[in-house]
Amino acid sequence: MSNKGARVSNKGARASNKPINTLSLYFQREWQLMFRNTSSLIQPLVFFVIIALLFPFSLPAEGELLQRIGGGVIWVSAVLATMLSLESMFHSDYQDGTLEQMLIHPRSLSLAMLGKALAHWTATGLILTLFSPVLCVTFNIPNEQIWVLFAGLLLGTPSLSLIGAIGAALTVTLRRGGVLIAIVILPLYIPILIFGAGMLTQSAQGLEVASQLYALAAILALSITLAPFAIAGALRVTIN
Amino acid sequence: MNPISATWNFLSNTYHRLGSPREFYTISRYTTPVFGILFLTLSLIGTYFGLFVAPADYQQGDAFRILFVHVPVAWMSMFVYVVMATAGAIGLIWRIKMAFVVTICSAPIGAAFTALALLTGSIWGKPIWGTYWVWDARLTSELILLFLYFGVIAVYYAFEERKTAEKATALLSVVGVVIVPIIHYSVEWWSSLHQGATVFAEGGPKMPTEMLLPLAFMAVGFMFFYGYALFLSMQNRVLENEHKSRWVREMVISQGKQ
Amino acid sequence: MQTIHGIAKLCSLQNSLADYLMPSSKVISIKDLSCTRGDNQLFDAVNFSVGLGQCLHVTGPNGCGKTSLLRLIAGINFAEHGEISWNSKDTANNSDFHRECAYIAHKEGLKNELTSIENLRYYQQLDSGVDEVALDDILDKMGILKCADLLAQQLSFGQRRRLSFARLLIADFTLWILDEPFTGIDTSGRNLIESLCVEHLENDGMIIMTHHQSLVDSPLNQYRSELTLGHA
Repeated sequence: MSNKGARVSNKGARASNKPINTLSLYFQREWQLMFRNTSSLIQPLVFFVIIALLFPFSLPAEGELLQRIGGGVIWVSAVLATMLSLESMFHSDYQDGTLEQMLIHPRSLSLAMLGKALAHWTATGLILTLFSPVLCVTFNIPNEQIWVLFAGLLLGTPSLSLIGAIGAALTVTLRRGGVLIAIVILPLYIPILIFGAGMLTQSAQGLEVASQLYALAAILALSITLAPFAIAGALRVTIN
Repeated sequence: MNPISATWNFLSNTYHRLGSPREFYTISRYTTPVFGILFLTLSLIGTYFGLFVAPADYQQGDAFRILFVHVPVAWMSMFVYVVMATAGAIGLIWRIKMAFVVTICSAPIGAAFTALALLTGSIWGKPIWGTYWVWDARLTSELILLFLYFGVIAVYYAFEERKTAEKATALLSVVGVVIVPIIHYSVEWWSSLHQGATVFAEGGPKMPTEMLLPLAFMAVGFMFFYGYALFLSMQNRVLENEHKSRWVREMVISQGKQ
Repeated sequence: MQTIHGIAKLCSLQNSLADYLMPSSKVISIKDLSCTRGDNQLFDAVNFSVGLGQCLHVTGPNGCGKTSLLRLIAGINFAEHGEISWNSKDTANNSDFHRECAYIAHKEGLKNELTSIENLRYYQQLDSGVDEVALDDILDKMGILKCADLLAQQLSFGQRRRLSFARLLIADFTLWILDEPFTGIDTSGRNLIESLCVEHLENDGMIIMTHHQSLVDSPLNQYRSELTLGHA
C-alpha cells in the first residue's frame, strides 16, 4: 500500500539548500530525541531537588545554618545531578551504531560534540539554574544573593556539561562506566565549585563577586574551545 | 664537529634509541643502578645537612625540618604529573609506544609522591597546629592531585585492550594537566577566603642558604629516585608488553639457563 | 605458531576493466595491513586493491577478523601497521575518502525514537539538503514506504535492515562497505540487496563485503574477487 502521493513535495524549496550547519544540526537532533524520551528531561531536575533536600534532613535545620550552607549545597547538588545524567549522553548513540557513523563522517566530529554537549547543558544545567531560585527560598537565602547564585550557575553549568562529556566519552565503551566517570570528572569540577560557591560567601560578607564571575567565564571560554576536541579525541581513542 | 653539536647528536641519538622497547631495556639495565646510587648519595647528604647542619627555625623549633622531605616531595608530585602528561601527548601525537609506557608507569609513582606529601604535611601540622589535617592551600591541592592520579590509574585498568587503555590514559593526563593550574589557583583563592595566613612557611627568596642547600640536594635526589623507580617499572612493563617478541624470549631462556 | 596470512584469490573476471585502470579512476589499496586484538593476531600482511566495478568478498571462519578488516578500511579502527590509501592518498583524516564511502554494519545506525523517514532525513541532512521526494523514492525502492511513519523500534528486523541499507541510496557513494549484508533478511530482501549491489557495480561503484557463505550462485559472482582470512 503506497501513500506516495500523500506527501507534500517541497523538493523545489529545499533541494538546493546549503548543507545545514553541523552545530545546529546536532543541537536540534539532540532535542528532537529528548522530546521523544521525556523522562530524560525530568530526571536531572528531580535529582537536583532530592539531593539538595537531603541536607536539611541530615543537619540541624536552623534557619541560619541553612542559609550559610545553602549556596554550597545547591552547587554540590547541581554538580552531582549533572554527573548522574552524563552516563546516558553517549550510551544510546554507541549502542545503536550512530556514534560510529559520526566518527567516519567527513563533518567535523568536534563541532558535533560541541552541539551535543550544549544540548545536554540546556536539558540539565540550564533547567537546574532556572529552578535554583526556588531552592534558594527553601534555604532562606536572601534575595540579593539569589541572583549571585543564579549567575554563577548559569556560567558554571555549561562547563560542567562540557568537561563531563570528556569523561562520558572516555567511558562510553565500558559496561560500568558510571563510577569511573565520577572518579575522573569530580576533581576537574572542583575549580568551578570553588568559584561558584565562593561567590556566595563573598557576597554574604558584602564583597564584590565580579572576579569570580570572570573566573567562571574564563573556565567556560576554555571549555567551549578545547573540550570538543578532547571529547572527539576520547571517542576516537576508545571506539575501536 | 664541535663539542656542542657532538653532544646534541649523542643526546638525540639516545632519545631515539629509547623509543624502541628493546633498546630502552638495554640502556636501562645500565642507567637504573646509576640513578639509584645517585638518589641514595644525594638524599643522604641532603638529610644530613637538613637534620644536623641547618639552624632551627625560631618559631617552629626542630619540627620544621620535615620541610626537607615535604617540599621536595610536593614538587616531585607536580613534576611527575607534568612528565606523565607530556609523555602522553608525545605518544598521542607521534605514536611512540614507549611514551605511553612512561605515562602509565609514572602514575603510581606520582601518586606515591602525592600521598607522601600529604602524610608529611599532616605530620608537620600536628606539632604546629595541633591537628593532623588543615585545609591549607598546598595540602588541599595535593589531595585533589591525588584524586587526579587515581583517575588516571583507574582509566588504565578499566580497558581490556592495552592499546586503547594506553591512549585513553594519555588523553586523560593531557586534559588533567590543562586543568591542574586552574585547580591550583582556585584552591589558593579558596584557602585565602577561609584561612587567612598560610599555615606552612615556605620561605622564599629570603630562605637562608643553610636551608636552601639541603633542600636542593633532596630535590635532585628525589628526581633521581623518580628516574630509578620509573625505569625499573618501565622495564617490567616493556617485558610484559613485548612478551611475544623474540628478544624477550631469548633473554628469558638465556637467563633461565644461568 | 602458525602465522596467519591473507590470500587474495582472483576468480575469473569477465570484466576486463580491472586490468586496465585509467589514471583518473578510483582505487582503494591496502598494503601490509595487520590487526591484533588483545594477544591474538587476527591477520597479517594483507594486500589488495579494489577498483571501480569490482566487488571484494571477504570470507573466513568466525573470529578471523573480517569485521575488523572492514572497520579498519571504513576508518573506525585505527591501523597500527599497514597502509590504506584511496587514490594514492592515505585514508586517515581524508574527508574526500569519507565522503565517498558508506559503511553498513550489524549495528544499524538507526535511532529507535525516530521514524524511518526521520532517520533517513537525518542522514540526508548530513550529506546535502533535505529532499523529501527523494526520501520517498528511496523508501519505496527498499519496499518500506508503508513504514515511513513508524518508529524504528516498531519495525521488524528485516524492515530495519532494509532501512539501514536505504542509507546507501541517499547520496552518491563510490565505495560500499557492507558487513554481512545478507544475514537476517528474507529471500525477497536478499534479492533486493543483490540487485542494488549489481546496479551499483554497473554504475562504476565498488563494494567490499563480508559473507560467511559462498556467493558463487549469486548475481554478484561475475564482479567478485574473494579474500579468505584465517588458516588457509
